[in-house]
Amino acid sequence: MSAYLRLPERNRELALLALALVITTAGFAAVQIARAEAFAWSPLIAAALFALAYGAAHVALRLYLPDADPYVLPITAVLAAIGLIEIHRIDPDLARDQGLWIALGLGLFVAVAVAFRDIRRLESLRYTCGALAVLLLLATIVVGTEVNGARLWIRVAGLQIQPGEFAKILLVVFLAGYLRERREVLAAPARRVLGIGIPALRHALPLLILTGAALVLLVAMNDLGSSLLLFAIALSMVYVATGRLLYVGAGLGLFALGGLAALQIAPQVQTRIDGWLDPWPDEQGSAYQIAQSIYTIADGGVAGAGFGRGLILGANGDTIIPYAETDFIYSVIANEMGLLGAAAVVLLYLLLAWRGFRIATQADDGFSKLLASGLAVAVAFQAFVIVGGVVRLLPLTGLTLPFVSYGGSSVTANFAIAALLLCISQRANRERT
Amino acid sequence: MVDQALLLLRIAVLVLLYLFVWRIARTAVRDVRGAQESMILRPGQGFDAVPVPPPASASAAPARPGRLLVLESDVLPPGAAVVLDQSEVLIGRDPHAQALLEGDGFVSARHALVRVRGGRLTIADLGSTNGTFVNGERIAAETALDDGDEVAIGSTRMVYEPGDA
Repeated sequence: MSAYLRLPERNRELALLALALVITTAGFAAVQIARAEAFAWSPLIAAALFALAYGAAHVALRLYLPDADPYVLPITAVLAAIGLIEIHRIDPDLARDQGLWIALGLGLFVAVAVAFRDIRRLESLRYTCGALAVLLLLATIVVGTEVNGARLWIRVAGLQIQPGEFAKILLVVFLAGYLRERREVLAAPARRVLGIGIPALRHALPLLILTGAALVLLVAMNDLGSSLLLFAIALSMVYVATGRLLYVGAGLGLFALGGLAALQIAPQVQTRIDGWLDPWPDEQGSAYQIAQSIYTIADGGVAGAGFGRGLILGANGDTIIPYAETDFIYSVIANEMGLLGAAAVVLLYLLLAWRGFRIATQADDGFSKLLASGLAVAVAFQAFVIVGGVVRLLPLTGLTLPFVSYGGSSVTANFAIAALLLCISQRANRERT
Repeated sequence: MVDQALLLLRIAVLVLLYLFVWRIARTAVRDVRGAQESMILRPGQGFDAVPVPPPASASAAPARPGRLLVLESDVLPPGAAVVLDQSEVLIGRDPHAQALLEGDGFVSARHALVRVRGGRLTIADLGSTNGTFVNGERIAAETALDDGDEVAIGSTRMVYEPGDA
């Protein structure tokens, strides 16, 4: 028994989780006080339940992944807590659902951690994962429902599922297995032109297929963000496998060229790009969301309006920005927590990405390295694209902010990613000691 | 009263948030500073730069350097030998490995470590994917080698020959 208590990595994790719990409690209390102008037990109960769920995940790690990275789980805790607090502030009913999704997500986290504590088990499933990823994306395109112009959702038994969230994980697993097998031929150029090694055509074919698939997705889903995310993941993994920037440059160039052509047949993307370049002419129309987002962020200032005090809800009780709890949660955070809070959230993603890359560098085998770096890119790039979208750095897209946004698919899928990273980390740290 | 409480909570959350970020970020600084050290300190690697001091007395001397003679391999020519002349010899695909088995897909970067322990030569698997075999059995723990023991790693089969014993 005492062996389970003497785990330096897990003890570090526990201390950080305790800090995350204090942040959660203070945030919930602030929202509740702002709403009811009085002390109430409900935020403390919410925080206690939050602590209970994370406590269970922590104990599971002690038992199954004792040497895994100690920072990943606490970072997800703070991100999930900030999201939950702001969703609670928008609508307590939504927050109850989100609480349930987080609990389910942590359940999946534990299940993945136990099932793949030997990460090599996943490698043999690479083709299954690849087929499933294609199936999910096809299903989205064929039977998916369009929300807000983009086709990213499937409706099953009254629930809206966003298959792209799961497809991206499956795609990373497939690419990690595939690229490990094909690494040598992709990395070794067949001939040189102007001093640049050009691979034989048949070896570059997978890359061309990837680019083509990304463009097809762009048109079929009518969403730049999702196709760009999947493509960025694939390109980054090709780079990790071969160490050749040529592939990244060629891929991006082809995607940009193809994207320009695809714009002609994907009207939604064109609207989004117009709203990005100049939202003001159509402020009340197609650029309404992004314009409201800019106002909301500006209203927050440096230190923010404070939990529960921001101008988030209109007179009729609806949020001022449509989809504030999902795509635009970052604008709400920027409003109530200000530039300081919003910057802290970006820093948290930076730390998460850094842990992911660190796990990748420490891993010994190629599959683990590729998997860890691909998963880290998946989370970090998704956060970058949606945060960039709501602050008008990039065209707006229908992606969720990992761990923060309201939504069952997003929350559970991201917890699965966290668990996979820890499985890889466990194996890497084991080998060192 | 409510406003003061809210202001206090707001400040508390921001301060705690940055405390949290800082507590994790400072380990990043440690990583960057320690990076070089941790790269050099791979098993066996440090001995390339720093010459091994000669053993002070005969009793401390390791068993005279033996060798692992290659019987069969996809990546090394038959008849090649891994000379065990350092106190630790790393076998694997890592460029810093003393026994480099480059191009063998069944060999991990840091696959196995051969070293002198308690006056005997031992081999330990470093958590490789496909295992290290001594006389046909996959080893779980550090295993002592005797004259004529057969070591298999990936496609390479080697036989241990002690020095002039």
